[in-house]
Amino acid sequence: MGEIVLKNINKTFGNTKVLENLNLKINDGEFAVLVGASGCGKTTLLRIIAGIGPATSGELYIDGEEVSDLAPGKRNIAMVFQNYAIYPNMTVKGNIEFGLKNNHVPKAERERLIAEVAESVGLTEYLKRKPNALSGGQRQRVALARAMVKNPKVFLMDEPLSNLDAKLRVAMRSELIELHNKLKTTFVYVTHDQVEAMSMADTIILMNKGVIQQQASPEEIYDDPNNIFTAQFIGTPSMNVLPLKNDCHVGYRPEKVVLTTEEKQKPEAVYREKARIVTREMLGSETLYKVLITSGDHQNQTVMVKSLEDAFKEEQNVWVNVTQENLYFFDHKELRIRETDRAEAYAACVKCLKGEEP
Amino acid sequence: MAKLTKKQKRKIKRAAGSTVNLLFKLFVSVLFLFPFYWMVTTSFKPYLETLKFPPTLWPQDFTFEGYIHVFQELDILSYIKNTLIVTGTVIVIQLFVNVPAAYAFAKWKFKGQGLMWGIVMTGFMIPGQLTFMTVYFMFADWGILRTLWPQIIPTCASAFSIFLLRQNFKQIPEELVESAKLDGSSEWKILWRLMVPMSKATMVTTILFSFINHWNAYFWPLVMTRDESLKPITLAIERLKNLEQGLNYTDIMAGNVILVLPLVILFLLASKKIIQAMAYRGMK
Repeated sequence: MGEIVLKNINKTFGNTKVLENLNLKINDGEFAVLVGASGCGKTTLLRIIAGIGPATSGELYIDGEEVSDLAPGKRNIAMVFQNYAIYPNMTVKGNIEFGLKNNHVPKAERERLIAEVAESVGLTEYLKRKPNALSGGQRQRVALARAMVKNPKVFLMDEPLSNLDAKLRVAMRSELIELHNKLKTTFVYVTHDQVEAMSMADTIILMNKGVIQQQASPEEIYDDPNNIFTAQFIGTPSMNVLPLKNDCHVGYRPEKVVLTTEEKQKPEAVYREKARIVTREMLGSETLYKVLITSGDHQNQTVMVKSLEDAFKEEQNVWVNVTQENLYFFDHKELRIRETDRAEAYAACVKCLKGEEP
Repeated sequence: MAKLTKKQKRKIKRAAGSTVNLLFKLFVSVLFLFPFYWMVTTSFKPYLETLKFPPTLWPQDFTFEGYIHVFQELDILSYIKNTLIVTGTVIVIQLFVNVPAAYAFAKWKFKGQGLMWGIVMTGFMIPGQLTFMTVYFMFADWGILRTLWPQIIPTCASAFSIFLLRQNFKQIPEELVESAKLDGSSEWKILWRLMVPMSKATMVTTILFSFINHWNAYFWPLVMTRDESLKPITLAIERLKNLEQGLNYTDIMAGNVILVLPLVILFLLASKKIIQAMAYRGMK
């Protein structure tokens, strides 16, 4: 019941256009993650949905109802802020209760809801405390409880985990996934961290400079990116993208490269170049190599290679092998060339890569 | 004498530094406290002792004469009542003017904001001595000179308080306001349930400053009041100078102690809050 539709949204700050003609649909019950570098407009978009930073023009529908001009408090949404925005002058209970009181929920009902929500986030024994006597993780829970108690149609979250330490962040991540599974409400979650996006999202909405680059499931956005930006934003280290002679680009993920010591060990590889290991980073379960290509069109370019085996040393000469199904081609506008819909261009790129004249 | 090592030299230097620091602080404290001391001790001296030379630092004959005189000569309670009515009314009205104004200047964006802020700040800088004539004639026109209102109306808004509160409200994160809006809170509620409780120290300070200003007000009531029944305590104490031939310092100082005592007590009670207000620390 929390489907969100944005139609022709524009947002300008002074003379700067942040969002231009943006259209987006987030399905009911979906865990949607807005991801992108800082300044890409993702928080602006979230604030438009919340109603605290209204769009310059355009329409916003929540659950089929136009809410563009509705006050934030009347939209039946809840938001968790990056710095939690907990009211420091109120106790934990006061914080959770504030929204209910404003909505004139009767006292007995309030008590019941607060007890219930405090129990579910593990705050029961802290209800009488003031926020400054809580740890970062507990404050985070207060912010969550405050949002949950309103039983909103939509949860908005603006980088809610970025103030937590690494360990707690990972723990809270799975708690949020659990929470979403339990509540089955629409979540819109903003982050700049692609790992967070990949691990939590049903749908990732990747943004760059105010434009949605791709909206797809984590698997799809990783396996089948629409353009170079998406391909390089998702995945660490990012995809190696190298130019081709026909103004197109070829890309391959570091983890799909097979390093060999002899040329013909991987006969099915379409992409095969001589190379030398420059640096080696042993990360435990995997090893990261920075490799300098020493032959062909990409001579003197470096690429990253992620390998499960730690079999190579620095300065060692190797071969870089990538099979065709692991290669991605992009045109001069940096848009993806898929074999399924642009077969001719795709074939030309393969030929170009093999050194055959197109 | 054995040559000092570097470490010893540094130690001596540091000790010398802190001694100078301490002496300076002592000097400043004496400078500020001595008049108070002189006022209080003099108020307990008999009349003749106040004229003695060299003066005595501590009353040789301890007496309450001065205080008894003040209460006998003046209807001091009615003056205190005037002062309290004026001060109390001003503080209450100021709350409902200054707080919303500061909130609007801190958290809203509206046309002409810069200009309006400029006007407020200019008002802050114009002394009453420049405006009292016109204001007096205006009140005469209104026919309220025989009431306490001329002492109340001109100070219903305090630019200084608006300034102090605005600075404080500005430091409160925007997200808290936004969060409250998402919680369905009205602006009025945000102001009184969030902003004001979070600015306790500044609130106390502005109220205290208003209190001090009106408790001590001398010039404005002097030019605005003719009826003895409307005069505040400051003017009454001033009258002590003219009650007898020659200055009776015992009485004058006793009157001044009565005048200053409430302020000192209030300040001591609120000094912690005042320091907090001047050095605001937000919750991280």
